[in-house]
Amino acid sequence: MNSSMIEFRAVSKWYGSFQVLKRCSTRVDKGQVVVVCGPSGSGKSTLIKCVNGLEPFQEGEIIVNAESVGAKGTNLSRLRSKIGMVFQHFELFPHMSVTENLNLAQVKVLGRSREEATTKSMALLKRVGLEAHAKKYPGELSGGQQQRVAIARGLAMDPIAMLFDEPTSALDPEMINEVLDVMVELAQEGMTMMVVTHEMGFARKVAHRVVFMDNGEIVEDAATEEFFGSPRSDRAQLFLSKILQH
Amino acid sequence: MFSGYDFDVIQRSLPYLFRDGMTFTVTLTLLAMTGGIVFGTLLAMMRLSSFAPFSLVAGSYVNLMRSLPLVLVIFWFFFLVPYIGGWIVGAPRPIAVGAFWSAVITFTMFEAAYYCEIMRAGIQSIPRGQVAAGQALGLNYWQTMGHVILPQAFRNMLPVLLTQTIILFQDTSLVYVISATDFLGAAAKIANRDYRLVEMYTFVAAVYFVISFALSALVKRLQSRMAIVQ
Repeated sequence: MNSSMIEFRAVSKWYGSFQVLKRCSTRVDKGQVVVVCGPSGSGKSTLIKCVNGLEPFQEGEIIVNAESVGAKGTNLSRLRSKIGMVFQHFELFPHMSVTENLNLAQVKVLGRSREEATTKSMALLKRVGLEAHAKKYPGELSGGQQQRVAIARGLAMDPIAMLFDEPTSALDPEMINEVLDVMVELAQEGMTMMVVTHEMGFARKVAHRVVFMDNGEIVEDAATEEFFGSPRSDRAQLFLSKILQH
Repeated sequence: MFSGYDFDVIQRSLPYLFRDGMTFTVTLTLLAMTGGIVFGTLLAMMRLSSFAPFSLVAGSYVNLMRSLPLVLVIFWFFFLVPYIGGWIVGAPRPIAVGAFWSAVITFTMFEAAYYCEIMRAGIQSIPRGQVAAGQALGLNYWQTMGHVILPQAFRNMLPVLLTQTIILFQDTSLVYVISATDFLGAAAKIANRDYRLVEMYTFVAAVYFVISFALSALVKRLQSRMAIVQ
């Protein structure tokens, strides 16, 4: 039996009177990759940001590694330090070099020494093929390179899970693959991953399950082959027919 | 045309003007700038806080300071600071603070309101995703502010902060109301003693102009260099 790493229990969220998440329940098991897809505005980014408490939610519960995210006694900073997150717009710190970007939280949050952190950072930069750019600043790198640095920054914390919020949506087409390659490799090594993306090729290749959202609801939550083979809901069928046309 | 004037008085009083007067002015400017930026940044963080009492207190302070004429504030603080100081240390009577430290405290408090608004704009100019990225790594509020947001905000706002400092440099001349001997005060004393008002005040104006103009030019160069980097 797989044990769950992230579990959503009937999570609801409102912006004022507008409900963005409607009783969402799903789970990501240890070592599994779950892809969340759906039309824009369906609430998928909001859902993933609830996992590490970047977005508060009003009802339901999210359990990460046996800790409840929204609960009063939860040390949110400590929990976040164990979950890597990669953003659509990279969000590297532009005033720091690549190495400093990777070192910052290792030193300040995990209490590693600067040497220890740098050793770790260099190993990770090598892994994403960017050790030659260690001293550069984010502004000197291409989008694809920046996103790979962002993944390395997340991995530097030795996370128990990684969250990806549309990691390739802001990239030029020719740079998407270099980022997906790193993510595929990570998935094959057994990293627990929750990925919001429109890259259906990636989903087919590595995802264990696909979650389809529309209008703040989880409409379909199925094993990958099942989702692509015979989506049960009309909305998922429509969505797939639209994005798989080309 | 200049037969009735004696410009030698300037040369004769140069040591006094610069060693006493300008030193006072520059020291006051630098101390008030440092204190004002530190206090102003804290005020900006409070103003942007989601905790209502913080933003209310900081907002009221800033609006109050910005609605009062500086001369009035200098005057009030000169009389109030000894009492407040005495009250803080628990002395039975007002403590002697002196014109210099009174001026430093006044300008720090006053300029903080202006630096606050600059830093507030600076913090707001940083994309929200940067805060999220800091938090997602497990950094707490102070770490995210100190390592991620403020260094970028400070850098973006450097030209404006320096421009405000040039204004501060000129404003320090208002300490004449508490008879402090800044650059203008020193010149005024000589002007009155030797009855050389035109010569001294012309010279003072020229010095303020040269320094402020040079600093402004420097800020402009800094601005264009930063534009290239970005």
